Amino acid sequence: MTGLALIEIHNLVKRYGDKIAVDNISLDVHAGEVFGFLGPNGAGKTTTIKMIVGLLQPTSGSVSVGGYDVQAQPLFAKAASGYVPDTPNLYAKLTGRELLRFVGDLYDLDRNQVAQRTDELLRMFDLTAAADDTVDSYSHGMQQKASLASALMHDPRVLVLDEPTVGLDPKSARLIKDILRQMADRGAAVFLSTHILEIAERMCDRIGIINKGVLIAVGTMNELRALGKAGEVSLEDIFLGLTGGAEEAEIAEILK
Amino acid sequence: MTTVIHPPSHRFLPAAWKLIRLRLLISINGFKHAKTIRKILSIVAILGLLAFAGGIFFLSWLLLNFLRSPMLTQYVGLDVTPFLQAMPVMILTGLFAGVLLSSFGVLLQALYLSGDMDFLLSSPVPIRAVFVTKLLQAVLPNFGLIALFGLPVLFGLGLAGHYNLLYYPLVILTMIALALAAAGLSALLVMLVARVFPARRAAEILAFIAGILAFTCGQSGNLFNSLGRSTSLSGTQVSNMFTLMVRFNTPWFPLNWPGQGLVALGEGRWLTGLLLVVLTLGLSAIAFMVSLGTAERWYYSGWAGMQVVTHRKKPLRSSRSSGKIGVSLPTAASKKVPVFGLGKLLPAPVWGIIWKDFLLLRRDLRNLSQLISPLIFGIIYSFMFIRAGGEPPAGQGEAPGWFMESLRFLFQYGNIGMSLFIGWWLLARLSGMAFSSEGRNYWILKAAPVRAGYMLTAKFLVAYLPTLMLGLVFLVALSLVQKIPLAVFSYGFLVVAFCLAGMNGILLAFGTGGANLKWEDPRKMSAGGMGCLGQLVAMLYLPLGFGVFIAPLWLVSAFGWPQGYGYLVGFLLGTLMTGTCAVLPPWLVRGKVERLGEA
Repeated sequence: MTGLALIEIHNLVKRYGDKIAVDNISLDVHAGEVFGFLGPNGAGKTTTIKMIVGLLQPTSGSVSVGGYDVQAQPLFAKAASGYVPDTPNLYAKLTGRELLRFVGDLYDLDRNQVAQRTDELLRMFDLTAAADDTVDSYSHGMQQKASLASALMHDPRVLVLDEPTVGLDPKSARLIKDILRQMADRGAAVFLSTHILEIAERMCDRIGIINKGVLIAVGTMNELRALGKAGEVSLEDIFLGLTGGAEEAEIAEILK
Repeated sequence: MTTVIHPPSHRFLPAAWKLIRLRLLISINGFKHAKTIRKILSIVAILGLLAFAGGIFFLSWLLLNFLRSPMLTQYVGLDVTPFLQAMPVMILTGLFAGVLLSSFGVLLQALYLSGDMDFLLSSPVPIRAVFVTKLLQAVLPNFGLIALFGLPVLFGLGLAGHYNLLYYPLVILTMIALALAAAGLSALLVMLVARVFPARRAAEILAFIAGILAFTCGQSGNLFNSLGRSTSLSGTQVSNMFTLMVRFNTPWFPLNWPGQGLVALGEGRWLTGLLLVVLTLGLSAIAFMVSLGTAERWYYSGWAGMQVVTHRKKPLRSSRSSGKIGVSLPTAASKKVPVFGLGKLLPAPVWGIIWKDFLLLRRDLRNLSQLISPLIFGIIYSFMFIRAGGEPPAGQGEAPGWFMESLRFLFQYGNIGMSLFIGWWLLARLSGMAFSSEGRNYWILKAAPVRAGYMLTAKFLVAYLPTLMLGLVFLVALSLVQKIPLAVFSYGFLVVAFCLAGMNGILLAFGTGGANLKWEDPRKMSAGGMGCLGQLVAMLYLPLGFGVFIAPLWLVSAFGWPQGYGYLVGFLLGTLMTGTCAVLPPWLVRGKVERLGEA
């Protein structure tokens, strides 16, 4: 990978009392790269993501976004990144248009350009007809798209997404995949967590697998195949092999 | 591989019992996993309620025994027997009306807005069982509360009247039957409303109306006092009330039948009693069964209707979506260009947060009811103040002269006091819950490049501007009525503006310290212990801040010095103190803002 490292994670640790949620993770995500972050439920994906976007303070270690330390220079790091959470909690009584205008204000963008960009994003996400309805009347998928539109408002250099395709119809899911690819092609770094291995396999340039807070594998698909046992060709096989889910998969196969 | 599916039992009672058992299990688990102090408090509360019910029973028994005594009739010449016979009628009618009205909001929440509906409706459980469980879950607390007052009185009446034993179980049975019938009718009403209006909007409007009504009723006693109408009852009024109750006890009103039947049974008039009680139980059962049957037809369609999100389709302003998958990302909006005018005063994120908060406050009716309360409160108390002529109450005349003189001096500034008091009320909501009101949406602010200082400034202004405006309205109105000179009014305005700013700073800081971001219902967003502490500190601050502005005026008038000195010293000391309170506490919690929601 030759691009500039836009996300740099060094020895990141997050503890909750005695429990270690994230255990000494180090990785880089470069400009022009889509990085997939995989792991079983409760592995520490969301905690890691929240530390990248500055929503959680790490117990130790550091995260840099766009060259800025998230703890030491949070405003610069946040200005460089866009975030889409797993649950789109948005202001229920704002309309879609008002929400985007508000986000534009938070990022100190020019008001005229905010209006123009709002229209473009609403059209892109097929939300124009519902733009003046309050968010509480939106379906889950529409809220997810509004959340992504908010994250793209300031054209971030780093886009961090936590399960972005959950609850989306195939057309919207495809739209998001296209957007992420285009962001990366334009030189942004895209960091996304997902449970859908097919998305990770087809979209991501590199993949990281986290299990019980520990980053157990990072690399391209070919590099991951080399890590797995002989015959493990698909990402599903590699993932289950690395995270200890292979036995359960065998049982499931017998039950079929 | 073939699998034999055993369909679960579709019988109503086992299914209903499963769901009720689930509720019980949730309650028991909630108690088991609660903190020890909470468990102890719950047990104490239950014992307290039982003791309360026992107390009501004992008092009713004594009082009704006294009212039934023949000596009372002989010496006072007042026969209260018709009134005592009307008492069960009043209680049971009250129970029916109480359950019918109070269940509406709870049922709306339980039937349409609770999070478990998807799960329950997708399970192979009869809809009737879901309906009955929800009905019981919603009605039991209200029924329990009404029964807590009504049942001991009815039992006391039975004991005092030496009613036969059949009276007591039938009282319980009748109360349950009436409550179920009322709840069933209330549920039908809920379903009718939910068919016409979106349930969430209906719940918001209901909460708004209930909040305003509760507050207005709560303050009505004070208003009556100010109008010179005593709230205590005279002998004539009591007699009129008795007559009205007796007149209400007519046999033509079906809601009177259960009460009349129970009294007749208790007194041994078997035929009338049994007829009326059986009629009551039968009609209640019919009402309940009809609502159950209708519910089966309406409930699912009502619920399914809620899932459909309808949008007002508007013509697209520019080009239509091509429908083609594949995107062209818009180019980035540039950083803000310099603007002139109002926008120059504050950074864009601060304006953005202020604008967003005002929109949300205005649109969510549940917030609005809390914000209108200070207005009602202010109007009632200003009215009382104006009627009193701005003079302190004379009392019994035993207070020393200097005290009355000081009190009279303070009452000259009643307009300021009133404005501050109303402001405190409004700030308690707006400032104390400034960050709590963000709730689960706080991530939007936190993930954005917005300084903690900007957020605090925005929240400060969101609370301060409407409060200052409201305070000013009351100050102007009261000053006009009191015919206060312009110079004194101007000083009063400064006092109000600075005192409110200081209080805002204190409440904002404590509210930030105890911010609760994990609420679902806005009425439950209170900032907990820190919020209460903030209120206490604000209560101490208010007279202090006011005193620092006013005390120099009192001193110069007491010593006969020029009044200008009083104003100057008061202003300097007051602005120093209140200004410090406005700035220092928020500054101290700025670090907390950056870490909110990380617990």
